[in-house]
Amino acid sequence: MVFSSILFLFRFFPAAILIYFVVPRKMKNLAIFLLSLFFYSWGEPKYFPIMIASVLVDYFVGQGIQRFGHNRAICKWLLVVSMVFNLGMLGFFKYTGFFVENLNALLGLSLRAPNITLPIGISFYTFQTMSYSIDVYRGKVKAERNIIDFAAFVTLFPQLIAGPIVRYADISKELKERTIDLGQISEGVAVFIMGLGKKVLIANNIGALWTEISETLGFGGISAPLAWMGAAAYTLQIYFDFSGYSQMAIGLGKMMGFNFPQNFNFPYISKSFTEFWRRWHMTLGSWFREYLYFPLGGSRVDSKIRLYFNLFVVWFCTGFWHGANWNFILWGLFFLVFLIIEKSFLLPYLDKGKVWPHVYVLFFLLISWVIFAVTDLSQLGIILGRMFSFSAGTDWVYYLRNYAVTFAVAILFSTPLPWKLYCKVKDCTAVNLVLMGGVLVLSVAYLVDATYNPFLYFRF
Amino acid sequence: MEKWKKILKYPLIWLFALFIFGFALWDILTPSREFSEMENRMLQQSPPFSLKSLMAKGEQAYTRKYEKYINDQFVLRDGWITLKSYGESALGKIENNNVAFGKDGYLFEKVFSVDEENLSANLKYMEEFLDKYPDLPVTFSVIPNAYTVLTEKLPAGFAAVSVDQNQRIGELYSRLEGKSSHLKLLELSPVLLEHQEEYIYYRTDHHWTTYGAYLAYGEYVRSLGLEPVPWGELEPHEVEGFYGSFDAKAKKAGTLPDVITWFDIPCRVEVNQQPVDFLHDLSRFEVRDKYSGLMHGNQALTVLYSQCNQNQQEGKTSRVLVVKDSYGNSFAPYLCYNFDEVYVVDLRYLGKMSAVLTDMDLAFDDVLILYNFMNFTTDTNIPKLRY
Repeated sequence: MVFSSILFLFRFFPAAILIYFVVPRKMKNLAIFLLSLFFYSWGEPKYFPIMIASVLVDYFVGQGIQRFGHNRAICKWLLVVSMVFNLGMLGFFKYTGFFVENLNALLGLSLRAPNITLPIGISFYTFQTMSYSIDVYRGKVKAERNIIDFAAFVTLFPQLIAGPIVRYADISKELKERTIDLGQISEGVAVFIMGLGKKVLIANNIGALWTEISETLGFGGISAPLAWMGAAAYTLQIYFDFSGYSQMAIGLGKMMGFNFPQNFNFPYISKSFTEFWRRWHMTLGSWFREYLYFPLGGSRVDSKIRLYFNLFVVWFCTGFWHGANWNFILWGLFFLVFLIIEKSFLLPYLDKGKVWPHVYVLFFLLISWVIFAVTDLSQLGIILGRMFSFSAGTDWVYYLRNYAVTFAVAILFSTPLPWKLYCKVKDCTAVNLVLMGGVLVLSVAYLVDATYNPFLYFRF
Repeated sequence: MEKWKKILKYPLIWLFALFIFGFALWDILTPSREFSEMENRMLQQSPPFSLKSLMAKGEQAYTRKYEKYINDQFVLRDGWITLKSYGESALGKIENNNVAFGKDGYLFEKVFSVDEENLSANLKYMEEFLDKYPDLPVTFSVIPNAYTVLTEKLPAGFAAVSVDQNQRIGELYSRLEGKSSHLKLLELSPVLLEHQEEYIYYRTDHHWTTYGAYLAYGEYVRSLGLEPVPWGELEPHEVEGFYGSFDAKAKKAGTLPDVITWFDIPCRVEVNQQPVDFLHDLSRFEVRDKYSGLMHGNQALTVLYSQCNQNQQEGKTSRVLVVKDSYGNSFAPYLCYNFDEVYVVDLRYLGKMSAVLTDMDLAFDDVLILYNFMNFTTDTNIPKLRY
């Protein structure tokens, strides 16, 4: 189930919130667990057991590490169990097809790739449970003794399927003790509505252009201007889609008394890729820093070669995490190149520049999102070829006319300007109500007549 | 008092709750609708639950159907759709659901590509048909879609993103040209283009109007050396408030409805060998899909026994056979003014062509194969011509 649907808004959500507020405090985490299981199983009932297994394995690993804390050998083995289980599940469900395909191509075999549907959100929750086991092993957090509380953490439906990647340490206090605070609920409602608007009104609208170009028109015959418009449309779509979804998750969390970490901070106003990755999918970036980059030695290493190796591993994994295809690996390494260039000499110049750093970031960002969007490498070659084909064409006239206002709106809302304006007026209750009400009602209208409502991060 | 003050301090919560819970309740209490007049389609009903349907895959999955059901049956659905269309106008959008908004209320569907494989196969079937009946005079004619003709009504840039049908029809004709001495190819684009200022295609539907069909009729009978009945001699009847297929897709607020003109052409009618009272099904003019009233919609075989043939010859029964898609339903009745018997066949419903051409043991003065371009490229019933 996704948040941006009539089913969620007018069936699951009211029922869930009613149950959640009605049950006594002691039962609230149990309520979260059961509601989340229902929420999760809705899309793929057959993956229900995986969720239960996830909860059990990491719960007992945590308990074991806590109990045998003095015996590091046992702890290490327990941690290995958790890692093997989590990465094994991820590897099996997400990457089997990819490995079989490449093995076939490499060795000239013809093994049949199994047809496995990806359990929704597996990339997200395996990372969350892994971070828990590692943190317990490192002694950063105490293991959760109450299995219901732990289950509520793992399955917590607002962030279950697409992040933010919430670490146990982030919400361990709130799992035990949270109060119903009207101020926070009200804030949660506003954050949720804004997230819904970003997803339904902006992402879906601008995304339709990219879908039409990539799926109906085909890349083969399009003009260079239309190819760039498509790239820009996808760039905007993925930001509003993903950040909108994160925001809905944060809003729902707030309504239930949780404070999830921020996941996006206007990434498209960055002046360097170094900055971009501090503003884009922040919880994933910090996860890789904390659990991969630092353990490898981070930047505190003796040789440049080691540093580059560490960066290579991190960006290879970041790319690969996004999908089992070469284009995602290429996408991760694309950033690696720019980050190394920036690290070695470019960063100070970028910091000083006014306009050109933005041009630099946006130009290569558009290309990076095309690499991300097109999983078929030969198609990717075609669209990149069209972008640099210098063919003027006339096919873009119609699309520009159709999408000009949508582009303008989307670009405006990727800057902090509208949000700054909103902060100025939101204390005026009437204005706030009209704005929020307008976005909510319009979003529902667009959802009822949804001819196009994909969710990009669903497959990750 | 203090407590109330605190609660009322956050009106957003209460209005949000009222909206969500209010609509949820209202929606649950509202009975389901079967059919949407606005969208001209059946709506999803509550799917029956079973373990099997729960575990089914893709579109058959219970959860998927249930989501569609909730969406289709959401309370005030038509109102929400209208609201969205206002939103789209505010965004300056010039299309919805692949249907573009042209000038003067005209809607046009974008055509990105042609199903080349199917088109090629259909042309081959045509050739085989011509070979099978070497003595049969055949006329083949392809009707272009409105956007190819009404060039002045198109939104800017539309032509650059849609298939050039004039060119494609030309290619199609040249492929069949000379394949058979008894085949005539009839071009319709010139006469339609000449009249593009007039009401020859519906604004909200993919079909041509009865007048557009009349122009084609004129071209056709002239090509056979006959004279069409003058337009002015026909007495028009009008059906107002026709919202066609493009409207059902575009769902644009404030769309101008079309007017369907029909004529009471004197003839005796048999639909699938059963006599019917009247040329058209007048009751269909009362419902949404008014176009299907013309000639009782698409039928396997309709025969019109003319009572008004201008070219009647003593001792001879002239016959024409029209193989057509739904465009032909506005076209075929005029032929009563030039033939004694008009046979109208829709291959989608007729098993095989020989059922009419051979089994009935009739002589036809001409066989007209009349298809809209899009229909001809996508239709998968053309092979029946050979059987």
